[in-house]
Amino acid sequence: MHRGTDALRLDGLMTTEWTDTNRIRTFRLAAMFLTVAVAYYVGAQLGFVLRFPPATGSVLWPPNSILTATLLLAPVRRWGIYLLAALAAHLAAELPVLPPLLVFGLFATNCSEALIAAAGIRWASDAPTRFDTLRRMAVFVLFGGLVAPFVSSFPDAALISALQGESYALVWRSRFFSNAAAALTIVPAIVIAVRNGLPNLRAATPRRYLEAGLLATALTLASFGNASDFLLGLPALPTPVAVLLPSLLWAAVRFGPGGVSICLVATALLAVIAGTHQSVMFVTTKATNAVLALQILLSTIAIPLMCLAAVIEERRQASEALATQLRLEAMLSRLSTAFVHLPSAETHRALEEWAARLGEQLDLDYVVIAECSATRSDEVLLHTWSPSGSGKHRTLARRELPWTDDQLRRKETIILGDARALPPHAATEHALFRLYGIRSCLVVPLEARDDVLGGLVVATTREERAWPEPFVGWLRLVAEVFASGLARTAMEDALRASEGMKSAILSSLTNGVAVLDSNGIIIAVNPSWTMEGANIGNNYVAAWAKATSVAALSSGDAAAGVAAVLARARDSFAVEYTTRDTAGERWYSMVAVPLNFPDGGAVVSHTDVTEWKRAEMNAQRSRHELAHFSRVSTMGAIAASLAHELTQPLTAILSNAQAARRFLSADAPDVQEVRNILGDIVEDDKRAGEVIDRLRELLRKGETEVVLLDLNALVKDVVKLLGSDALIRRVTMDLDISPEPLIVTGDRIQLQQVVLNLLVNAMEAMADCPADERIVSVHTERCDRETVRVSVRDTGPGIRDGDEDLLFEPFYTTKVTGMGMGLSISRAIVEAHGGRIEATNNVVRGATFSFAMRLGNGKPA
Amino acid sequence: MNRNGAQVIVVDDDFSVRRALSRLLTSAGYEVQTFDCTRELLRHGDLGRAGCLIVDLRMPGPGGLELQEILAGDSRPLPIIFITGNPELATAVKAMKAGAVDFLSKPFSEEELFAAISHALGGLVSRACPPSKTPIRAASAPPVASRHVLP
Repeated sequence: MHRGTDALRLDGLMTTEWTDTNRIRTFRLAAMFLTVAVAYYVGAQLGFVLRFPPATGSVLWPPNSILTATLLLAPVRRWGIYLLAALAAHLAAELPVLPPLLVFGLFATNCSEALIAAAGIRWASDAPTRFDTLRRMAVFVLFGGLVAPFVSSFPDAALISALQGESYALVWRSRFFSNAAAALTIVPAIVIAVRNGLPNLRAATPRRYLEAGLLATALTLASFGNASDFLLGLPALPTPVAVLLPSLLWAAVRFGPGGVSICLVATALLAVIAGTHQSVMFVTTKATNAVLALQILLSTIAIPLMCLAAVIEERRQASEALATQLRLEAMLSRLSTAFVHLPSAETHRALEEWAARLGEQLDLDYVVIAECSATRSDEVLLHTWSPSGSGKHRTLARRELPWTDDQLRRKETIILGDARALPPHAATEHALFRLYGIRSCLVVPLEARDDVLGGLVVATTREERAWPEPFVGWLRLVAEVFASGLARTAMEDALRASEGMKSAILSSLTNGVAVLDSNGIIIAVNPSWTMEGANIGNNYVAAWAKATSVAALSSGDAAAGVAAVLARARDSFAVEYTTRDTAGERWYSMVAVPLNFPDGGAVVSHTDVTEWKRAEMNAQRSRHELAHFSRVSTMGAIAASLAHELTQPLTAILSNAQAARRFLSADAPDVQEVRNILGDIVEDDKRAGEVIDRLRELLRKGETEVVLLDLNALVKDVVKLLGSDALIRRVTMDLDISPEPLIVTGDRIQLQQVVLNLLVNAMEAMADCPADERIVSVHTERCDRETVRVSVRDTGPGIRDGDEDLLFEPFYTTKVTGMGMGLSISRAIVEAHGGRIEATNNVVRGATFSFAMRLGNGKPA
Repeated sequence: MNRNGAQVIVVDDDFSVRRALSRLLTSAGYEVQTFDCTRELLRHGDLGRAGCLIVDLRMPGPGGLELQEILAGDSRPLPIIFITGNPELATAVKAMKAGAVDFLSKPFSEEELFAAISHALGGLVSRACPPSKTPIRAASAPPVASRHVLP
């Protein structure tokens, strides 16, 4: 199901894409630099505007707050750059209107305020850019709203009083309240707008927009009302606060710290605008007092309102968290239910479905299930979900993300509320995060029993998200459900693969295979199974018995053999049998082996060996023909001596007959002598007949006839046949026959041929030796309980070095006239009889050829 | 039975052949000594009384040609008739050159045998011989002719 996946390659990230990302980062940094500079500049201009002339102090001095917000939002390592941006803007804004020394001095004091505030908040707050709990808000108010303005106002006042000659105390007071009011109102507004502005605007419903609009209207009316109070010369504070409070409380309750913050800024702006436009008021009221009044108003109502908003926000978040927790619990329970009875084929579909559900429900930007590949241990398969849809399946080499891989192997959870908190050596992870814009990430291992099957990754790109401990715990539970699903699938897949393999092997076999239970009932067969009357459910042994009884099969003991295997009485059983049908005779080999199962049973296989048999029979026929040819040629070679063998009795017969005729023609025939003569004639005739019989036997073109025979007698016969030959060749035959009969099972003619070949070979080997040294020693013996041996020893030149192995090969010969078939046929015959033939050189001279055979049982026929 | 008193020695390794020849020659009136090999003859044979030798060409131990060689050293070598079951021209020529009277292939008829013996015993056809029904073989050269051949 993972076909069509492609590999996610990360090695490129470190080079080309990395530089791309680098370029983007540089560009983004430049844009931020410009933004900060412009914001600072605009803030400064706004600060100039927000004055009640002729007072020099601004009601609100935004640049410091803009800088503080920037430092809170930016990583510390970027502070230098942004301070530089601020400096540029500062110079651009103030140099035209103020003396340079004062401009630089003011920048230093402005920076000091921003730095003190940002550093203090970062030090004391767990989330410096968030104001959604009372604690965080308190930290912000303390450092940003009180400490920083308080401290920085001293050098500020000193500077101005020194350079401008204004009253130190007045300047300090004006600075402190101005900065405090600005920090308290502007900083949260900027920070919240930058962090959550866009997402919040996107997420807001039309009703919410309507509500915001109403609030804005109410606030505007109240502010202008406030201004008109100034205008009417009514007592300065209580009434305006009372007029403003409903709107601000509304903002605090419904729009949180951000809402309050924005409303306060708006109030200040509106008040100043109203005040400056209705300048009549400031003619009668001292300008500095009016400014101070507004600043104190802003600061004093800002603190409790912000804290109230934070508390409400905290409550809201707590209840939301609770709701989320409940939702998560419900989701987990649905997930577990879904996975409990999931068929393994649907596991991956379910995983993807649930990855999508997790992503949607938890408002994530990526959910990735990384599954260790079943086929390749060095790869993981990625199922990726993102809001734009489920990604293609991709594979990822584990070594591409060594750090993550290592963490997962050690069953560690990777919790990154801020993606930049990755350890520096996780270089590929850094690159990957940059490529996909990952800002926070949580990775939990998919653990099943002791194995890690992969990892579950959730990540955000729109914002950094803290991963609270309960959520991590929850995600671990989700991962556990996923992992058990994957483990079960892997197990079932493996089982199926193994089953599939077995079935594929059985199907591909050309011989019929059947599995029997312990009673001999066929429980499975492969497609090649063709035995008639033996289908699944039939009793195999009975089928044999039946088949044997109708004589379709020529082997009767098969049923008993299979029954013995089923009864575990024997380890295996094999038999060959023939069947005869319209196509002719066919040969089969049947093998039965016990099934290695607790319940017993057996596996039987039937193999059609007809072709082998035919080939074997052809080979045997060829061998017979060759052997016959060889015998005929051997006979040719010894024909002269055979003729001699025959002429002896014939000579005796003729002479005896003529002698008898003479005796009978005598006057008084010696009847007794004639009777003796006739007796001799009969004997000699028999003798001639025997020679002819032996010859005929050797020249017979017979089929193999296996009988029990005595090797001693056989050797004597052959020696007798060759007696004349030996005489002609002037070879002395030395016979040493074992005293006990050497009974073997074999074909008489074939074994005679072996002895004949060895003897003729020995005699021919000595053709060049002096006549009185030509000795052939024939020796028969019983070697041990089971083996008998016939050796033929000559006194010829022996076997040439290196020829021992070639001697028995066909067409190997050292004789000019030889065919080189004698020894190879002899070997074929001996080996067909289960024996061994060998040749060795004698110690002194000549060679010994011998063959050994197994001793047979019984008496020769 | 011994009408002409001539003695013939038969040397053949085959017992049946020896006995049959012995019978035939005896029935023709010859005195017969038989030996189964050359060594036996040389050890026990009474060559002085013998008129001729009938010797098998091939025997275990020294054969007919060796015997001929041995006897050739005598002052009056006995005439030899070779008999063989395996006639080879080369052997026959060699034997004839060495002074053999005749060279008979087994099996041979009594006429051939007796003719050869007569030649050996001095060109006389034994009176005791029954009239031969077949003419004497051309191959059985007359002793005179044989002597011409001899060196």
